[in-house]
Amino acid sequence: MQDNSPAQPAVDLRGVVKRFGTMTAVDHLDLTIRSGEFFTMLGASGCGKTTTLRLIAGFELPTEGQILISGQDVSDIPAYQRPVHTVFQSYALFPHLTILDNVAFPLRVRRLPRAEQRARAMAALEMVQMGRYGDRKPSQLSGGQQQRVALARALVNEPTVLLLDEPLGALDLKLRKEMQLELKDMQRRLGITFVFVTHDQEEALTLSDRIALMQGGRIVQLDTPANLYNAPQSLYAAEFIGETNLIPARMVSADHGSSVVEALGQTYRAEGTTASAGAAVTLALRPERVRREPAGTGPVGELVEIDFIGTDLRLTYRMADGSKVIVRQQNSGGIPPAIGERMPLGFETDSLRIFTS
Amino acid sequence: MTTRTHPGWFTRTFVHGISGWVTLLTYLFMLLPIVVLVAFAFNAGKSTVVWTGFSFDWFVKVWHNRNIVKALHVSLIVAVGSAAIATAIGALAAVAITRREFPGRDLLGAALAAPLVLPEIVLSVALLVFMTFAGITLGYGSMIVGHVLVSIPFATLIIRAAAASLDVRLEDAAADLGANEWQTFRMVTLPQLMPAIATAFILSATLSFDNLVMSTFTSGVGTTTLPLRIYSMLKLGITPEINALGAMMVAANVAILLLVMGRYLPLMLKSNRR
Repeated sequence: MQDNSPAQPAVDLRGVVKRFGTMTAVDHLDLTIRSGEFFTMLGASGCGKTTTLRLIAGFELPTEGQILISGQDVSDIPAYQRPVHTVFQSYALFPHLTILDNVAFPLRVRRLPRAEQRARAMAALEMVQMGRYGDRKPSQLSGGQQQRVALARALVNEPTVLLLDEPLGALDLKLRKEMQLELKDMQRRLGITFVFVTHDQEEALTLSDRIALMQGGRIVQLDTPANLYNAPQSLYAAEFIGETNLIPARMVSADHGSSVVEALGQTYRAEGTTASAGAAVTLALRPERVRREPAGTGPVGELVEIDFIGTDLRLTYRMADGSKVIVRQQNSGGIPPAIGERMPLGFETDSLRIFTS
Repeated sequence: MTTRTHPGWFTRTFVHGISGWVTLLTYLFMLLPIVVLVAFAFNAGKSTVVWTGFSFDWFVKVWHNRNIVKALHVSLIVAVGSAAIATAIGALAAVAITRREFPGRDLLGAALAAPLVLPEIVLSVALLVFMTFAGITLGYGSMIVGHVLVSIPFATLIIRAAAASLDVRLEDAAADLGANEWQTFRMVTLPQLMPAIATAFILSATLSFDNLVMSTFTSGVGTTTLPLRIYSMLKLGITPEINALGAMMVAANVAILLLVMGRYLPLMLKSNRR
């Protein structure tokens, strides 16, 4: 997104630590979320992403460190006084209230005039195309509909920051895709800072302006989706985001920016770690950056498996040393490759990364 | 597929045959006295065992008996008063016990359930001795306190069960949306507990209305409850007037039961399913 936002960050975490007993859920986290951005915390379960979200919301208090929202220190301010609202994975709609009353709830606790409560709640429901369902009860709606209502309820009060805790986790694939588009569209229109938590890397890549990949209570890499995918800074990032070929290799000569490694009987120039010569390293390469080159000079593999994905073909080759290399190739018609074919494989060297094994 | 064995003669004769009869006899044993009681309320004569004809006279007579009407009045005041207090304390205690961490939490839970296992007679005597010692005149106050003691374990247990099954995340959500603790309690927790609170109130009121032991010890001059009145009437000889009174009490109880089942049971089942 263009950077026309004020310099004030929406959320600022400074040296935040959260311990539960002896378990450290969030470990000295420093994080600045810009105003108006779609920010995602991505990671496997137990990586600390949800705890971080709950710390920002105020459901948990940090063991150490400071949390600032729009420049104001909120570390000691209870959840109900913070200018953030949350969309919960479980939706958490109040079962005893109608849909309209659910959405009007944040306005009712602020004691706004009844007419204004109704009007604004109605407008929020219209925004998520749920205007017709105002007098139903939550139990009468489908999961997707409840999700929309939860979104309207969290947005009706115009929070500075909207927190979303795996909000699409319980939806089926088609609905999920739809809601992803709507979420992104809504975030652009309203200009509210979205802080999104998910374990789904594809969802993170689709939606986010920036992604913080987390592991063990720390941020592994904070980057744009494109950088995170194209230039992972660690083996963990390379493996977590998308599919990656990990090829055992040996360092030949180390140099900043372009080291030389030996793998599969060939030498390659690549970016990455500068381990000493002779060290065992791992070469990472995206499957769509491997090409079948019938006239090439690359290492030869034998096709052992074909997975038909639809838009793509996923081809698994067994190399001379027994390792496997996966190739993703667009399903663009023509004669399909056949099991057993022997084919030289070309690696696009600009996408090769070296990591210490 | 599991092979299905044909039931043997033992199963056929005893389990299927006799169990049906036992069930029927059990129901007869439980319900027949009530049926007889209600039937003889309509007896024209003075006997409660010999049928002499149909009439509504005894019902009319009950309503003209100043003592009975006065006792009904007392019973209703004590029932409603003690049920209200027991339910209020029960609701607050239930929420505190299920939602808060505080020293002595388990002790409080146990203390509130204790009257359940203590013999009521012991509780009653203890209360009477205490009241006498403290110089408290027996009357509505002492009786309401006694009845609260009897019904508070039930009220607390019912509301505790409901409070424990509430979704804590809804309270998180309320706080997240700007509601302070009091607003969260009033607008989210309390409405969801209403079916349980209503059930606890009705059960407490019914327990109080039926109570004889505690009332015997704690009633004062002019605060004779209906069960006490009926008991003293029995000593003077039984007439169908008591049957008529009993029939009306049965009718009232059944009506309340149906009301509770019709109104709150579906609600409770529904809220538990979510």
